Amino acid sequence: MLRLLLISLLIFVCMTNLQPSSAHDGNPHISPGKSKADSQEACVEPTDVMRKEHYLFLLHQRDETVINGIRTKNHSLANCIDCHVSYDEKGKAIPINAEGQFCQDCHVKTATNITCFSCHAAEPRYPNHEKTISKDELKEISKIAKRIKDE
Amino acid sequence: MNNRRHFLVKSASALTMTFIVPSLLSSYAQAKKPLDQKVTDKKSWGMHIDVDKCADGCTACVDACNEENGLTGFGRPETDSQWIRKIKIKDKTTEKITTMPMLCQHCENPPCCDVCPTGASFKRVDGIVMVNQHTCIGCRYCMMACPFKARSFVHETLSTQNTNAPRGKGCVESCNLCVNRIDHGSETTACEDACIKAGHNAITFGDLKDSNSKVRLAIESNSPRRLRDDLNLKQKVFYSNI
Amino acid sequence: MSDYTLNKLKAPRLLYWGIFLFLGFLILIGLASSAYMEHEGHYVTGMNNQIVWGLPHIFAVTLIIIASGVLNIASMSSAFNKKLYKPLAPLSALFAIAFLIAGLIILVLDLGRPDRLIVAMTTYNFKSIFAWNIFLYSGFFVILAVYIWSMLDFNVNRFSSLVGKIAFGWRIILTTGTGSIFGFLVAREAYSTAVLAPLFIVMSLLYGTAVFYLLLRVISRLQSIDIPDEITKNIRRLMIIFLLANIYFLILYHITNLYISKQIAVESFILLNGGGYTTMFWLGQVGLGLVIPLLYEMTNDEGRSFGLTITSLMALVGGFFAVAVIIIGGQAFPLNIFPDHIILESSFYDNVIHSYTPSIFEFGLGVGGTSLALIIILILITNLKFIPAKK
Repeated sequence: MLRLLLISLLIFVCMTNLQPSSAHDGNPHISPGKSKADSQEACVEPTDVMRKEHYLFLLHQRDETVINGIRTKNHSLANCIDCHVSYDEKGKAIPINAEGQFCQDCHVKTATNITCFSCHAAEPRYPNHEKTISKDELKEISKIAKRIKDE
Repeated sequence: MNNRRHFLVKSASALTMTFIVPSLLSSYAQAKKPLDQKVTDKKSWGMHIDVDKCADGCTACVDACNEENGLTGFGRPETDSQWIRKIKIKDKTTEKITTMPMLCQHCENPPCCDVCPTGASFKRVDGIVMVNQHTCIGCRYCMMACPFKARSFVHETLSTQNTNAPRGKGCVESCNLCVNRIDHGSETTACEDACIKAGHNAITFGDLKDSNSKVRLAIESNSPRRLRDDLNLKQKVFYSNI
Repeated sequence: MSDYTLNKLKAPRLLYWGIFLFLGFLILIGLASSAYMEHEGHYVTGMNNQIVWGLPHIFAVTLIIIASGVLNIASMSSAFNKKLYKPLAPLSALFAIAFLIAGLIILVLDLGRPDRLIVAMTTYNFKSIFAWNIFLYSGFFVILAVYIWSMLDFNVNRFSSLVGKIAFGWRIILTTGTGSIFGFLVAREAYSTAVLAPLFIVMSLLYGTAVFYLLLRVISRLQSIDIPDEITKNIRRLMIIFLLANIYFLILYHITNLYISKQIAVESFILLNGGGYTTMFWLGQVGLGLVIPLLYEMTNDEGRSFGLTITSLMALVGGFFAVAVIIIGGQAFPLNIFPDHIILESSFYDNVIHSYTPSIFEFGLGVGGTSLALIIILILITNLKFIPAKK
């Protein structure tokens, strides 16, 4: 009986893990707000690679950046956030580690701790300008996201 | 399906135009070092500070640094971070009073890097001394070793960091000569910009290996000195007219 | 004590659990303090950007010095072949392990990022004394474990003398390393001298012997150990020699600094006008820790055990002050960034003597760590045979 319960629990866990919950896979992500990523076909690498190995890219890039000064955008955390961060109706960024947001949502589901944001800004924040997007841009993102959903 | 893909690729490139390109342009479009290249020792960043030009009571450099690196204090001056600070000193013999900014002196032989147990304090090949906050364990030995009190320990949880200057509780930090700007092609630091804007021109930043750089010209025309020369640390921050 | 066996501690049940729970409670307080410090950040402590190492480091350095010093008794047995101390040697090595663990735990729990301990254990900068010390400490740990094993297991007993000699050599290097943490800091005038290394070694000899004697007294209260008069007399003689050695190296250290004219300012700060630090130095470190115990022991030629207990206590409290004067006093004096100038103004306290008021959390962490050493000793001596008794 116990074994049966355990097996079914395992299957359940596997199934929930298989359920896609982010953009790039036909489903717009369910987090509140809209992000640039919603409108993109794929991330900087194929989606299943990103899903499994994004932390390896980040880990590699972080040393390359800090020690060697390489500032390419593709695997940089700042660029991830720029694209994946959601904006609310007013065009204001929602921290990506807030509840239900891109990073946090998945990491909560997989019970892994993200320590990036104890030091890194969880939303685009540059010294000389507040990073919000204009109404038109927001509208554009929402439109595309809606179309993906409809199809 | 195909149709959708086609549409998406199109709109994606349109969006790239609207989002990514402007954000690139808004930072430093005239990149000197390609972003995908490692820094080399062909450059050696340094700074010259003409103390006579530094104005008493002016804190433009400090404010600019705080703005650039998101250093917001908690109103607790004993534990809040300071990457650059103003000091006023009086010569013991001539009684001349001068004021000047103090910051990480970016030593050629940095004591902080010698003592760091994990190698988190390190000197980049282009001479910038900085903390790799991914491997800093917060032991503060570097703060014990620094003769210039250039380093600060982050004593509290932070939440308003800038994207270009990650920093967090439990690590040591200090001036990194605006490394993010430099890697994106800038040849100025925030403090230098601010000092020029304030009309004082006391701070001059640049490549010490380039004989035509403004910092080299400033050094050659002023015969500056390094602080605590007796320690032979060969700092890259020079002071004139102390 | 030529004919002896080793026994477990058989303390009265109630007393054992009383001590156990008391120490456990203090350890919990220590853990809670450290958790609070890590969660809130170090601003809740008395430490700041001026005094970067505080009370936890005083506790940790004292405990690490003691860890090396309590091995004296075992070293005399194995390295110097004094049969008299052989029955006490395993106990001495056990104390060393316990105090080393306690000192290191305090150091680790005070880190800004204790969660990155694994980074410290896997990424090394071999130019750093700290990195050497990580090897010295873990090596000492292994050597001590092998040493105890070789003493207690009859089959490998023939190696105990060799391992004891290695342990002796290692502890000298280890304390040199601890002293060099400060001795190699060119930035701070109070520190940058190699004399600190031998000074730390003689400190470890003194405090370690004192702690060993005190713990032996406590244990003999719980269970009668027959401590021969000869041991008491020898320990008394050793204490006198160690006190003299401490005074010698302390004078040497300060004379060296006084002779280097650029260091006179910091010397007069510690010796004359440093307020609390001067008081701690003269009354705590010198008076209570060295001169009074020395005078007392020189006149107490009977070698009475009670007198020796008092001496040990005084030396130990004095030792705590000594480490405090070195660590805090050395940081309190502002850095000499401009030798030819007077600093008039600075937003970063460059021109003032720094003050340090430890918080209750740092104290809790220190006391909790010390209790950890004691509880390790308590658990091991009640469950394993460490205490000598006549056959």
